[in-house]
Parts: sequence; C-alpha cells; structure tokens
Amino acid sequence: MFNKSLSFVVFRKELRETLRDKRVILGVIISPLLITPLILGTVMFFAGKKVSDMSSSVLNIGIVEQGSFPELIDRIESNESVKTQRFETRYAAETALRERNARAILVVSENAQTEFQSNRSASLEIIYDLANEKSQNAQNRLTGMIRKFDKESLVQRIRSENLPENFAKPTSIETTSIASGESTGAFILGMFLPYLIVISAAFGGIQTAFDLCAGEKERGTMETLLVSPASRYEIVQGKLLTIFTVSLVASICAITGIVVPLSLGLEKFNEIIDINISIELTSVFAMLLIVIPLALFTSSLLLVISSFARNQKEAQTYILPFISIVLFPAMISSILGAETQLYTAFIPVLNISLTMKQILGNIFDPTYFAIALTSSFIYALIVMRLSAALFQREQILFRT
Amino acid sequence: MIIAENLTKTFRDRKRGLVRAVSNLSLTCEPGRIFGLLGANGAGKTTTLRMLGTLLEPTSGSASIAGYDVRESPEDVRRSIGFLSGSTALYGRLTAREMIEYFGKLNGMSGSELATRIDELVERLEIGEFQNGRCDKLSTGQKQRVSIARSIVHHPPVMIFDEPTTGLDVMTSQTIMAFIEQCRTENLTVVFSTHIMSEVERLCDHVAIVHRGRIAAEGTVDELHAQTGEKAMENAFLKIVNQMEANDVQ
Repeated sequence: MFNKSLSFVVFRKELRETLRDKRVILGVIISPLLITPLILGTVMFFAGKKVSDMSSSVLNIGIVEQGSFPELIDRIESNESVKTQRFETRYAAETALRERNARAILVVSENAQTEFQSNRSASLEIIYDLANEKSQNAQNRLTGMIRKFDKESLVQRIRSENLPENFAKPTSIETTSIASGESTGAFILGMFLPYLIVISAAFGGIQTAFDLCAGEKERGTMETLLVSPASRYEIVQGKLLTIFTVSLVASICAITGIVVPLSLGLEKFNEIIDINISIELTSVFAMLLIVIPLALFTSSLLLVISSFARNQKEAQTYILPFISIVLFPAMISSILGAETQLYTAFIPVLNISLTMKQILGNIFDPTYFAIALTSSFIYALIVMRLSAALFQREQILFRT
Repeated sequence: MIIAENLTKTFRDRKRGLVRAVSNLSLTCEPGRIFGLLGANGAGKTTTLRMLGTLLEPTSGSASIAGYDVRESPEDVRRSIGFLSGSTALYGRLTAREMIEYFGKLNGMSGSELATRIDELVERLEIGEFQNGRCDKLSTGQKQRVSIARSIVHHPPVMIFDEPTTGLDVMTSQTIMAFIEQCRTENLTVVFSTHIMSEVERLCDHVAIVHRGRIAAEGTVDELHAQTGEKAMENAFLKIVNQMEANDVQ
C-alpha cells in the first residue's frame, strides 16, 4: 500500500517537525520515562514507609477490667508493641478512644477468668474506630495477640485432657503454588501493564495527529502541501507513518518507564510484596510486536478525526468517541482473565490487551495470538483506507 | 501555456443548495504574458485557480497546464506549476532553508542539484541572513520571500498567483509584484487573481473580469477602458459588473 518515494519525503519532514514540538517530547518521551517512574517511586516509597511505620510503631491500648483476667492481660502488658492504660469505666475508655489517646479498648467481662479456667470461652470485647487507620491497626494487633493466646491455651487444654495434639485440627492443609516469583510478578504486571500500553499507544499520537491535519488546515500549510506533486495517498501515507511512529515510541517509553524501575530499582517493593517482579526480554518483544497493529489502528483513527476536523479545537471535540472506542475494551481487559473465549480475539483493542496479558502470564496461545494479530491488522487496514478516502474528498480538505 | 475550456464547478451547500461557483469559464494564458483575473470576493477566482492547480476537480469542462490535463495527470500538472497565494503558509518549525529543500524534494529534486538551486534562490531572494531561522520567527516580508522560493524551486514553466498580496504591507506587496514581473521576463506563463485595480493596471497583459463565476469581459487594460468609456479601472470594472447583473435580471 505504501508508495515509498514521496511518502518518505513527507514522513521525514513530519517527523523532523514533530521532534521539534516540545509538547510531543514532553508527553511521549519525558513524561513516561521520567515523570511516571518518579511518581511510581514516590508512591512505593510512601507505601513502604507506611507499612514499616505500621509494624514498628507502639500503639496505645486501653483496658477495662470488669473482672480480672491476668492470664491474658499480663501477656498483653508485657508485649512491647503496645502501651497499655487501664480505665475504670467503659465510658472513660471510649472518651480516650475518641480523643485518640487510646487506639483500641479491650473490655474484659466480669466472669472472664472463671469461664476461662472452666474450659469455656472467656467473653472479651474490643472497641475501636473503623474510620481510623491506626485504630484498625491496633484492633488487628490486639486480635492477633488474643489469637496467639487462644492457640497456646488450646494446646494446654488438650494436654491436660490427655488428647492427641491434633485433636482440634481435623484436617491439615498445605498449599503449593508452582508459579515462580517471577511469573507471579508478571501476572501482577499483567493486571495493569496492557491497559497502560494500550492507553499510551492510543493517546501518544493525539497531539501529532491533530497537528498534522487539523493543525495544517488551521495554519494554511495544507494548501501549500496539496499543490506539491505528492499525491493525496502519498501525503496520507507520510502523515500516517509519522503518527504511527510517535504512537509506537509512546508505547515503548511507557513499557520502559514501568518495567525498568520495577525490575531493577525497586527491590524494596519486591521485599514488601514478597514477589520478584521482572519480565523476560522475549515477552517485551512479543508485546512490541502485538502493539504494532494497535498503534496502526489508533493512528489511522486519529488521522480520520484530524482530517475531518476544520481545526485542532474541533478535533478535540471529536476525541470523546475515540476515547470510548479505546478505553472501554482496555478497561474490560483488566477485568477479564487472560484465558478467555476465542471470540474476544476478534474484538479490536480488547484482543491486543488480552494477548499482552497472556504473554505476561506465560499462557501464550498461538491461535489466539495469530487471530488477534491478523484481525487487528485487517481493522487497521480498513481504517487506513477510510482515512485515505477522506483525504480525497474536497469537502473535507477545504472545510472552513 | 494554460488552456481552460468551459470550466464549471458546483458545490452542494447545506443552506444554499447547489452553488455554481464557476460557470463555463474559458481562458488561455500564454508564456511571457501575465493573465489577470479581476473580481470581487466570492466571484470565483480562487475556485478557478484551485481547479487549475488540481486542488479541486472541475465538475465539467477541461483544462490543461503545460500540456498536461488537470484530470488525467494532476501530479504532472502540479510539477509544472508554482502556486502562491495568501493562504499558502509555511511550516513554522522548519527553517527557511529546510522549507525550500522540502518542496524541492517533493518535486523530485535531490543531492547537489537541489543544494545548488537552494543556494541560488537564497542569494537571489536575499534569504541568506535568515535561511537557518525557523519560519515561525520570520517577519511577514521574510516569509513571503521564502514562499516565493518554495514556489519556484523546481523551475516551473507556469506560475499561479491567487491574491498574493492580500494582507501584506506596501513594501512586501512590492516584492511580490516585482517577482511577478520577473516571471514574465523569464518567459513563464503567469495567471494572477486580485481585486486590487492598481495591481491589474501595473501587471496584467490581459485581464478577465470575473463575476458570479463567469467572465463578464476580457481584453487588455486599454481595451477594457475603451469598451466601457471609463478612464479609471475601478469605474470600468463597476460598469461591466453592473451591466452583467442587469442582463441577468432581464
């Protein structure tokens, strides 16, 4: 379909101009390569800091003893992760909780010790503030201590009754995952990376597309170009190739901006979630291959919008349907599992997102891949034809 | 050489219905002569020139430029013309030199042939000082000189000027008019549209007064004066146009 000679003259010129557009450089290269990793790093730093703060901080716990229960209370008081304070009444304890002087309150019932010693359940109550993060944390910590106490007490009760140790454990379950740390990491990346790449491929070329057609009409350079010997097809091809290149670069930068920091620099994050996030190079190449028809498809769609619009402002008003066409399937892909029905391989954008998910999840299906690749190329070709046909129409080119 | 026979262009407009922008317009422009299309705004001058420049396809009629038919060989036609109008702008992020180079390449030029031609135009049009400056930073006069260079980089035998001085100051208009005169000296075929009477009197060897998409009268400036009995071109123009409107009413 491509007529090499003048199409490439147009392409080289368009690319040169695009590379001089600061808005494109910022949006396509600087933002995904520098700003995204920076934001990602900042989010992870604060997330990590929060987790470590939560586990290391000493929390104030209030105790209201309606009856004594030293077996448990002594143990809580000796725990270094909490600082206990006794309250005479439940009302006083609740006031301290509201004023955040205590983060959670343990209320021991009147006959708790008697119940415990007679092998029944001692009644306890934990009062906390669900709307407060530290209070939730204190409640969890308190519950954890009580569960541990329960476990040890149960063992003692079983022993005193001369029962086997597994008496209270009718089954024993052990779970084994065959996934390596790497593949689990890739699975997690598969939840959001395809979505991000699709967005980058689709939206990376917007500025360029609008500049190359609607912008040219607005500035009066379109007429200058149309009186040159380049045919309308050659002009469309040159412009399309430029938008496609920018979209592809945007996708590559998006992949790099996410994968590289996650794989190399953020060991702390990997420690926190106990999973090693990394992607094999072959997966990256496979993703780049599958993103090509997507970028062609979205570039052609953008060229159609830009050709139709009188100016850049009007082009922006037409962008909403485009966003829906791209975002909706991309969002569905993050809900659907990677192993899905074969018919989804025919749905544009969704098929690309799901193929990426499969590649990342190591469940590569050659049939699905082939159908997704072929159908996407066919859709791209149809839209390319449409944009070329629009460029032949005088009413479209000379709309003022 | 430009030959147009019965050129007609109709548009479908949502409000006005079928609009006949140009109707059975015929003209012949010869090398070494300047053919002027004189008319008010909306008379059909730009549509006529856009059909000659293959930007628009004629609804009916035919036209040939330098021996190439506008329908059958539009690329050859465009290779044979230099088109300059008030609405043919420059690429703001290219330098003046890159702009000329780009249009040279689009016209099939390359290598030393192109470089030599650019150097020649840079010198002739005094672009040297700002040849490496971005087009969006140039003054209006400088932009016009780059536009001229862009339009003639490929040695076209035919030049089409569509109201090239619209919105320009006196100095810049003079540069354009001097360039049009030079085209005649170089034996190029020149067609030039305007609504400014003084430009017609100064430049045109042959004038066609266009009104409502049709040629109302044509001849040399002197012949039009004689035909109307008016000494001023403005009065001659108004008389011809009013006469045509009166005939249309009848």
